[in-house]
Amino acid sequence: MFSMTAKIAWASLVRRRVRSLMVVIMIAISLWGLLFIEGIYDGMTEQMIDTAIRVDCGHISIFAQGYRLDPDLYKQIADSAVIDEVLQHDQRVRSYTKRLQQTGLVSTAHAARGASIYGVNLQDEERQCSLSGYLYPRANSDRIQREYDFGVKLCGALIGYKLADKLQVKIGSKLIFSAQNLQGELQSMVLKVSGVLKSNNMLFDDKVIFVSAATARKFLGLEGQVSHVAILLNDETQTLAVQQELSREFPQLEILRWDQLYPALLQSRQMMKVSNMVISTLIFCAVSLGIIGVMLVSVLERLREFGIMQAVGTTFGQIRNIVVVESLLLGGSGFILGAVIGGLTLVYFRAYGLDLSVFSTAFEQFGMDAVTYAVIRPSFFINAAIAVLMSTLVSVLLPLRVLKSSQPVEIISKL
Amino acid sequence: MTAEFLEIKQITKVFQPAKEVKVLALQSVNLSISRGDFAVISGPSGSGKTTLLNIIGGLDRATSGTVTLDGQLLSAMSEAELCLTRREHIGFVFQAYNLIPVLSAKENIEYVMRLQGSSNQQCAERTQQLAQKLSIDTLLNKLPNQLSGGQQQRVAVARAVAATPKLLLADEPTANLDSKSAADLLDMLQRLNEDEGVTIIFSSHDPVVIAKAKHSIVLKDGEVVADEYLG
Repeated sequence: MFSMTAKIAWASLVRRRVRSLMVVIMIAISLWGLLFIEGIYDGMTEQMIDTAIRVDCGHISIFAQGYRLDPDLYKQIADSAVIDEVLQHDQRVRSYTKRLQQTGLVSTAHAARGASIYGVNLQDEERQCSLSGYLYPRANSDRIQREYDFGVKLCGALIGYKLADKLQVKIGSKLIFSAQNLQGELQSMVLKVSGVLKSNNMLFDDKVIFVSAATARKFLGLEGQVSHVAILLNDETQTLAVQQELSREFPQLEILRWDQLYPALLQSRQMMKVSNMVISTLIFCAVSLGIIGVMLVSVLERLREFGIMQAVGTTFGQIRNIVVVESLLLGGSGFILGAVIGGLTLVYFRAYGLDLSVFSTAFEQFGMDAVTYAVIRPSFFINAAIAVLMSTLVSVLLPLRVLKSSQPVEIISKL
Repeated sequence: MTAEFLEIKQITKVFQPAKEVKVLALQSVNLSISRGDFAVISGPSGSGKTTLLNIIGGLDRATSGTVTLDGQLLSAMSEAELCLTRREHIGFVFQAYNLIPVLSAKENIEYVMRLQGSSNQQCAERTQQLAQKLSIDTLLNKLPNQLSGGQQQRVAVARAVAATPKLLLADEPTANLDSKSAADLLDMLQRLNEDEGVTIIFSSHDPVVIAKAKHSIVLKDGEVVADEYLG
């Protein structure tokens, strides 16, 4: 009997192919839009979080106790060699970088701004966050930046593009950075801009100056100490476990996950999930109403047919199965079509990105890149399948109620 | 013939199409139909023929009175039980054929057998047997809209008897047929009655058709005015 049920349901859809096609296309377009929005929104959020993690704090950050609340030069990680030993032998660690930080004043002939120097090993930073990928091509210079370093004398500096704009400097310009050293003496050093960065991390682009670790060490009067160790893991899901192990290994240090350092980022991710769910619900409410309308008409115009089937001994349950199978065939076809089109769209935008340069100013305010790369997650398709399934099942409730309340003889004799 | 195969006692049916309007379709109808009977219910239009057939077949419920089919009290059954009774014991031939439009002739004939859970082989054998008997064996793969009225009615008859019901009800089965087709159909019903022993009750107001029956019941204004066995 199931094959007869399926055959009647399928034949009914084929008999009304224009209407069936309209419903399938409606579901497919809704699903395509939903997948696109989810993929792009998630991509925006993940890019923002990824940039912050890679350029700034890593998955895990290590500080000396009390340093974050009071970033004093006396509160440094004393012996970073021990940390090196542990991290270099941990397979879960993809890369890490050690930084010396100090806040001071950077000035030029035109302007002065508060800024922070990060004393880094350029190779470590390159491994950590592919720093060269953030080089800003439009640096008020005809020279296209392809290579960068701190120069032979190690007095080069990489600065954020916003800071460069405010200081009105370009590659080759001189900066003077002034700050207190370990002895509390006010020191100044001359730096030469060797690169401009645009990371879309607001903090970095507006405040940070990368200098060589040796230059920073000499300037600040420090030896082997570091202010911050940023660790990047191969698998983000291992973050908690690695944090706990490092905390046991180094109880004298403060070891924090990225979401503990920047809870707003985590909330951004959660907010995006909620936003996606709301949008999904709204889209599928609209789709459900469309399917309900079609199924209701489909049942009402076949009341006589159903009445005949009941008259010869078909139970209401069997007729219900026919209507449900019909609805599921419509929903399933729409889902497959929408998933294929949506999936291909996401694959394209994952590879080539969606260029929203028109809104670049707005994106920069939020630390987002104007080119957004979509993400593809199985959960998009699973949630969409559940939504389509529920929509199609809900859509048959009203028509079935109409059918159940009708007597076969009334239907056959009156229609 | 065994008596009291179908027992109808004091059946009354009142329709209420509007709040203040009541229509008395049947009034205190009493009938007995024997097993293997070939009975016709006749009368002018509006006399209650279709209403009576619908009540006998469990498609409608009487306002009062009882219907007993082969010892089972139909009037006391639930909708689900009536549905099963129709499937297992009663075959219907409607005036307007009422074939399932998306199924082929073969699938329409097999439909009730499939509902009963018959196997593919059983369905195929029975369908072929009936199709040959009713001269529709070359039309089995056609859809109803590809068949003439007479052909559709023969498919409807085949569907009604395919599952070997105890009782076959036919509501004006020849009304929409030309005279030749009507005569052919009646011959087929007679053969089914004689060869397969199916109890047949049909309604008609055509004297030629009425003359073919063994048992005649005449209704007028919802009442039985005549109930006699012919020849």
